Amino acid sequence: MNGGQSGNRLRLTGHVLANTAISSGLIRLDLDLGRPVSFAPGQFAMLNLTGPDSLVFSRPFSILACEETVVSFLYRVVGRGTALLARQEPGCVVTFFGPLGGSFPPPPDDSPVVILAGGVGLPPLYAWWRRYRRGEDRAYFGGRDGADVPWSLLEEGWRVSVDRLTNLPPGAEAWEGLVVDYGRHELTTSDGPRLVLACGPAPLLRAAARWAAEGNWPCLVSVEERMGCGYGVCNGCVVPLLATGDATDAVLPYATCCEEGPVFAAERIDWDAFARTE
Amino acid sequence: MQLPDWWQTDPCQRFTLGPREIPGRIWTASGCFGYGLSGHDISSPEFASPYDGIGAVVTKTVTPQPRAGNPMPRLAELPCGALNSIGLQNVGIDHFVSEVLPELERLGVPTIVSLAATRPDEFGEMTRRLHAVAGRYDHWHGVELNLSCPNVAEGGHDFGRSAETVAACVAAARPHLPDRCLLAKLTPNVGEIAPLAHAAVAAGADAIAAINTVIGLEVDLASGQPLLPRRFGGYSGPAILPIALAKVDEIVCEVGAAVVGIGGIATSEDALKFFALGAVAVQVGTAQLRDPFATAEIARELSR
Repeated sequence: MNGGQSGNRLRLTGHVLANTAISSGLIRLDLDLGRPVSFAPGQFAMLNLTGPDSLVFSRPFSILACEETVVSFLYRVVGRGTALLARQEPGCVVTFFGPLGGSFPPPPDDSPVVILAGGVGLPPLYAWWRRYRRGEDRAYFGGRDGADVPWSLLEEGWRVSVDRLTNLPPGAEAWEGLVVDYGRHELTTSDGPRLVLACGPAPLLRAAARWAAEGNWPCLVSVEERMGCGYGVCNGCVVPLLATGDATDAVLPYATCCEEGPVFAAERIDWDAFARTE
Repeated sequence: MQLPDWWQTDPCQRFTLGPREIPGRIWTASGCFGYGLSGHDISSPEFASPYDGIGAVVTKTVTPQPRAGNPMPRLAELPCGALNSIGLQNVGIDHFVSEVLPELERLGVPTIVSLAATRPDEFGEMTRRLHAVAGRYDHWHGVELNLSCPNVAEGGHDFGRSAETVAACVAAARPHLPDRCLLAKLTPNVGEIAPLAHAAVAAGADAIAAINTVIGLEVDLASGQPLLPRRFGGYSGPAILPIALAKVDEIVCEVGAAVVGIGGIATSEDALKFFALGAVAVQVGTAQLRDPFATAEIARELSR
């Protein structure tokens, strides 16, 4: 259902070029890998530090962009790993293992695309938008407030919503409310079905899946899970799936987020079981 | 690293374990490299493949029936290690024999099959299934009986604490492995591991694999509840290295059995400590999750 893997998975050593806040909560990391890397929007990499800061598990980060030898990520400090990553200065070494996992597919010929990105869920959909967008496609980003929005990345047609209509920079426009509610009006204003692509917090994904189903629109979501390995060997990052009637699915109702995902058809996910793991 | 003078072994040379020659002494541990099929499209500037120099891949544990595994979260990272509660998610022996083992052979992966069950006769039946197709598989070298996984309520941990049960499981499997090695992987969650190792060897095990994970628990302070849904998990990583070394030493000194050392190995120095105590091979676990080349790197560094 997703775009599949593109190219070989590489373990490389990167050097930090920049590691800078681009909004009140989001940090952009640019790593020079010393060689070009290709990726598909939605794929991720496992990053780790070296020496005393080395983490027991590497951390998964969706790829924001690759330009020549430089690969970029966007992250929010949420725990020990990201706190350590935020302290890395230009020149510091960060290990890179990727690109990993599946991807969002190119746009279908027969229907426009609606993108819903929440907060740090922006990278895969930013990458998709840069690579594939067409005139009839729509992209929505949701942040906490005006200061949380990475405005420098959201040129070229992005529509922005914020939970609180505060701290907006001069000239910036935003809709007040949740991004899923902002995007939902596509259901009533569109003249035909849309393909919905979503990435962000679990409530966003669940809500997107629900209203896409209301319109009988296909919906693909990129799921974030704790990961041990990132390459499908530990089964530590599973996503509960609905049984398809296949006997094997009934016994093995989980899919690995890292290898079989992180992009899934929303209709395949058991959202009730998924909610219990949040 | 500078290799010590006493280390004169080439870990990438074949060695004999029971009735079988194994391609090398540095292995990946069960559950830490999947079924052994996931590394073929991975490369790095330093290695052509994660399989470089690897003596054997111990597969993810296979059970008589497929198992769904435990609910999420299944992992908790701690400062010096990790807790896991995967719950033996696996495809079951039927699918493994019909689909996975042929692929491992086609790819030339040196394989030790990890098996778990809740009764001794199930170990016998699973090894019989493997024996029935053994003639097709040059790269399948043996079986590791997982007698110690702490995450499965109906068997696992308590199962492997009884010397009688350990002996019964080994005895059930042995007749079906006339030309493959048989390892018994023991739990460290006992006061003395030597009686278990002695029982396993007396029943026909070629080597003891030690240790499996140490039982642990992490608390989610926000909820005040254990973080893992099954409360307990298996603790692994650098923190358990000295525990593993102590258990291996106990087995070597008191039983004199061949030991495959496991527990907290992340560097070639860590691996050498097991060899210094008399281990015939080692397995790399949690470090292989962080870096698919961790085992290959240790094999390279220990080669003379």
